[in-house]
Amino acid sequence: MSSLIVALLAIAVAGFAAGVYRRLALWRQGRAVDLPLSLLLQVPKRYLVDLHHIVARDRYIANTHVAAAGGVVGSFVLLVLVYVFGFKNAFTYGVLWGLLVLGLLGAFFVFKRRQSPPDRLSRGHWAMVPYSLFAFGLGFLGLTIAEANASQGTLALVATVLAIVGVREIAGGALLSRPLKHLLSGSVHLAFHPRQARFDQVGALSTDLRPMDPEAEQYGVGKVSDFEWNRLLSFDACVECGKCQEACPAYAAGQPLNPKKLIQDLVAGMEGRSDQAYAGAGHPGMPIGTHQPGSDGALFPSLLEEQTLYACTTCRACVQACPMMIEHVDAIVDMRRFVALEQGGVPTNAQAVLQTLRNTDTVGGYDLAERANWSVDLQLPIAQPGQHVEVLFWSGESAYELRNQKTLRLVAQLLKKAGVNAAVIGEQELDTGDVARRLGDELLFQNLAERNINYLNTLSFDRILTIDPHVLQALGQEYRAFGADFEVLHHTQLLDQLVHSGDLDLSRALQRGTVTYHDPCYLGRYNGETEAPRRLLDALNLQVAEMERSGMNSRCCGWGGGAAFSDVPGEHRVPDLRMQEIHAVQAKTVAVACPNCMTMLEGVVQDQTEVVDIVELVAEAAGV
Amino acid sequence: MKYEHLFKPLQLNQLTIRNRIMSTAHAEVYAENNLTTERYVRYYEEKAKGGLGLAICGGSSPVSRDQPQQWWSAVDITDDRCIEHFGNLAEAVHRHGAHIMIQATHMGRRNAYWGGDWPHLVSPSGIREPVHRGTAKIIEPHEIQRILDDFGKAAIRVKQSGLDGMEISCAHQHLVDQFWSPRTNKRTDEWGGSLENRMRFGIEVFRSIREAVGRDFAVGMRMCGEEFHHDGLSHEDFKEIAQAMCETGLIDFISVVGSGADTHNTLANCMPPMALPPEPFIDLAAGIKSVSSVPVMHAQGIRDPMQAERALAEGMVDLVGMTRGMIADPHMVNKIREGKETQIRQCVGANYCIDRQYLGQDVLCVQNAATSRERFMPHQIQRTDGPLRKVVVVGAGPAGCEAARVSAERGHQVVLFERSDAVGGQINLAAQAPQRDQMAGIVRWFDMELKRVGVEVRLNTDADAQAIRAENPDIVVLATGGRPGIEEDPAWGGQSGLAVSSWDVLSGQVPVQDNVLVYDVMGQHAGTGTADYCSNKGARVEIVTPEPKVADDTGGTTFPIFYRRIYGQGILMTPNFWLQRAYQEDDKVIAVLMNEYTEELEEREVDQLIIENGIIPNDGLYWQLREESANGGITEMNELYDHQPQPILAGIPAGQFALFRVGDCISMHNIHGAIYDALRIAKDF
Repeated sequence: MSSLIVALLAIAVAGFAAGVYRRLALWRQGRAVDLPLSLLLQVPKRYLVDLHHIVARDRYIANTHVAAAGGVVGSFVLLVLVYVFGFKNAFTYGVLWGLLVLGLLGAFFVFKRRQSPPDRLSRGHWAMVPYSLFAFGLGFLGLTIAEANASQGTLALVATVLAIVGVREIAGGALLSRPLKHLLSGSVHLAFHPRQARFDQVGALSTDLRPMDPEAEQYGVGKVSDFEWNRLLSFDACVECGKCQEACPAYAAGQPLNPKKLIQDLVAGMEGRSDQAYAGAGHPGMPIGTHQPGSDGALFPSLLEEQTLYACTTCRACVQACPMMIEHVDAIVDMRRFVALEQGGVPTNAQAVLQTLRNTDTVGGYDLAERANWSVDLQLPIAQPGQHVEVLFWSGESAYELRNQKTLRLVAQLLKKAGVNAAVIGEQELDTGDVARRLGDELLFQNLAERNINYLNTLSFDRILTIDPHVLQALGQEYRAFGADFEVLHHTQLLDQLVHSGDLDLSRALQRGTVTYHDPCYLGRYNGETEAPRRLLDALNLQVAEMERSGMNSRCCGWGGGAAFSDVPGEHRVPDLRMQEIHAVQAKTVAVACPNCMTMLEGVVQDQTEVVDIVELVAEAAGV
Repeated sequence: MKYEHLFKPLQLNQLTIRNRIMSTAHAEVYAENNLTTERYVRYYEEKAKGGLGLAICGGSSPVSRDQPQQWWSAVDITDDRCIEHFGNLAEAVHRHGAHIMIQATHMGRRNAYWGGDWPHLVSPSGIREPVHRGTAKIIEPHEIQRILDDFGKAAIRVKQSGLDGMEISCAHQHLVDQFWSPRTNKRTDEWGGSLENRMRFGIEVFRSIREAVGRDFAVGMRMCGEEFHHDGLSHEDFKEIAQAMCETGLIDFISVVGSGADTHNTLANCMPPMALPPEPFIDLAAGIKSVSSVPVMHAQGIRDPMQAERALAEGMVDLVGMTRGMIADPHMVNKIREGKETQIRQCVGANYCIDRQYLGQDVLCVQNAATSRERFMPHQIQRTDGPLRKVVVVGAGPAGCEAARVSAERGHQVVLFERSDAVGGQINLAAQAPQRDQMAGIVRWFDMELKRVGVEVRLNTDADAQAIRAENPDIVVLATGGRPGIEEDPAWGGQSGLAVSSWDVLSGQVPVQDNVLVYDVMGQHAGTGTADYCSNKGARVEIVTPEPKVADDTGGTTFPIFYRRIYGQGILMTPNFWLQRAYQEDDKVIAVLMNEYTEELEEREVDQLIIENGIIPNDGLYWQLREESANGGITEMNELYDHQPQPILAGIPAGQFALFRVGDCISMHNIHGAIYDALRIAKDF
């Protein structure tokens, strides 16, 4: 009996080893990355700390995972100790059986969840997992009890069959591309995560879009092997839990993007097969089973369609939600680079925007000489080289748009009231290129970034102020890769400072009823700022109701990533969905902190809720 | 960008004008002792606060002493005393980011000699001016030189004061265009004859000004685009003048106004009343712009932001004058900026403002009682810090609508009862007359605002004392208006049904008969409007009035419009007659008329006798409620006239209500009077 168990263990180890070999081969289709093997030592810490922060959001499944994974892995180790190394005593048997029971408990909770599984969960092979876990636990429990009692017969026979089923699932996952390949890919992924900064400098960098070499032979990712190997690995770590699907605004709007399916499409591409085996929700409106990689692992359009890529708002709700820390958005942008620059596949309307941006250095095709028109009557000077200012006020595209000019103007008036020395840039200010970068036209982005940085370097200022979180992200974070080092503040951050330093007095009472705050993705998820706006609302003594999706889990307005321009058809409009959530908390006013959110939410036809920028409330209370 | 052109700044010489909406020069009649006052400053400051780009104040401010100024209370720029006053004005406007210039002029014969220094008016050829009955002498060379010097001296004062620039009126036949026009210039010397000679004076004026202020100070010219006189200047003539003036390099802008103004009928074009189509003369401005090398401004009937944007986008003008528009709503520009266009109290072209001005009265707005009363009356109603109350307003005419609107803006809970099926009261009748339909714009704004500010409007509800009490009000405002006053003289037959009222006809309740006599006691818009209404329905109409002339009390820019209709439709005008009595003869009505001056009697046999005799107040509810009200229904006069809160508002006893009346239910007032009554009392609720 012992030898049977040892044989099973040997098969398991051999199968697993073969799995490792197979998966390594799959991952290594990708491009090489310079990462040390010693990162593997980081896995326990990253598993127990970083990952735990995310998984613990769902306590049920966190506990289930501890039980199932702990039970299975622990019992495997004990099996080896007992049967290979011969540590046979009451204690080791006790621990072994305890762990097997723990694993069964975990399996039970997995089973229970899958009794009425939410739409986000995949079925297919995944539906088998609880039974395989039962089989593993019961099988080895049976075998070890039989062995301990030296009994043979039916129990042993049944137990053997069960154990084989369990071993096949667990140890064979990597080889057979079954769900529990996760055991391998999940842990290795933690070591070689594509964005290592994620573990070291939490919040410091929210994305890892790398500058592109303009001289490169090919732009962006067009086939599986164009991804770096650890990105392929990261896709492989996906457990199809569908948290991303649940968070994705495009999916909710019925646009043809399900981030989970996207990742699984890439896994299918990596494995050189079609998406037929996929057993979860698809890209809305698109069939499952008809997509497969082209020759040489080409992704477009046979495996992935452009409309799927361009439905993404780059809001990073999926990234935020993913317990495996997969970075969907960076991958999407990498692929968009290929589609945009190699294939010309940007959706027509967005293509027109890029052309306009190329021609005019503005998204809307405006005259740069009119950039400072919005402030001609506000005694806001235009910054001159050699003249130092405290705050350089970035006007952005809002300079050309009446509704958001209101936000700019109120911020300027509040700065004046608080005695802040500020200046605008005027016609030397170009678009940051955010839209270009998100749509995949990295060359255009880099061109704009370099020209903006060159001019900003001629000016003397302490910090840059913007009302637009996309500008905050571009100037403050993404320009760093091009040598910039600017301190950039969002207006809610500066106003928060001015209120708390006593430079702004918000003593006028507001009559607003219930107010809710809509976190802009690029302020919250990208820059980690969810508190400054809320402190301002607190200072205004407003009755604030939080939406279910708020803070780092806020729902996108639908603008970002060029989505407002790509306008990929769906069943609903993203901002309409967000407005429903605003209405759900009975808010008479929704405060936003982004001109693009303003545009999208004001575009919703409704008369229940007034959309304001927070600065409007601040100005009202400050008597401006 | 929406309104891309409206909000594009414009460089005018040294000035960056923040947007393209301006207030063109008009006589305000707010100056006292011919100096700007706090009222004057606050009037322009409100527009600056409300977002306008440029204001030109002081319509027709004479540069010379030989111009009596009293009847339009001009600001006096003939003396250094104006400098300090203008400084305050400039500072107040600049504080809000706007700019302000002044219009300076010499009006020549366009004046009346009987005032001020009792001068002998001067004009190129001494021809009398009809509108002002301006008799004048032929100007002599030394007078020309003196006036040129006066222009230069005035310009220095304007520049020193801190105002941003100066517009010289060469329109409406002031002295410069009296030289230009062959209608008024018959001279044969160097100042007359060829166009070049006729233009000489104007060019010298600008040369004198430039010598005084230099090149870096905005100086422009207001000119006509077409005189509409057979012997006057045509549009082509004006294009030639505009081009020549641009070529002198002396001017920074041209403001174009359509129509001459030296007859009553042409004058009525200048501030196009509601009878005229929108922007009737913009083509003239566009024509001038086609030859102009400097920015062109134009006002006249541009009331709507979309209209303004289109005029700019199509390149017809560079600056849009919305002068009456900002009299009606000085915050118009900010509302456009903020996407609150539907909240703009839009000018309807009733011309109450300009009709008052031509009578020498201060300019007021028919629908906005806060305009020019900024010291005491708010344009933006602030929420009260005091107790929030239940306010019941009875009657949704202009007084009731305003009382309800203001009360709700103060934060109170407001119920507005209205007997009929719509808000608006008598304005709805006024809008029935031909070419008077835009009066309904006043109602439309109230209707939308009442919804926006959350007034509970209960239409088709005839509120009695019981219904009012049932609301447990803290404040009751009666705005119950009146009923037609046709029963005043029983001999008219109003009671017996021999005569019907103008209301009966305008409301459509009584069909118009074939042969109609309209008896108009009042001489206001209602009587003539009713006559026009009947005529428009095909009736033969005679309008009889004891007034000196038909429509005598409608104003200088309004009666000509009525007269165009009256003569055009063949309505018979019989002024100076009283209706003595009426009687029935077969199926006809016989109206007996008596001449005011000879007392001779005449008879008319008509199918229908329609009487317009104003209203009798509906005061029934007042007498029912005054006893039980906390203030006995008394509005304290001194507090009211001093713009102070009514004393009872300091503490209305629980379970009781304060009772006020506004508008016609006290005695007959016009729309402005009704709205002012309501605003001045409700602003302190």
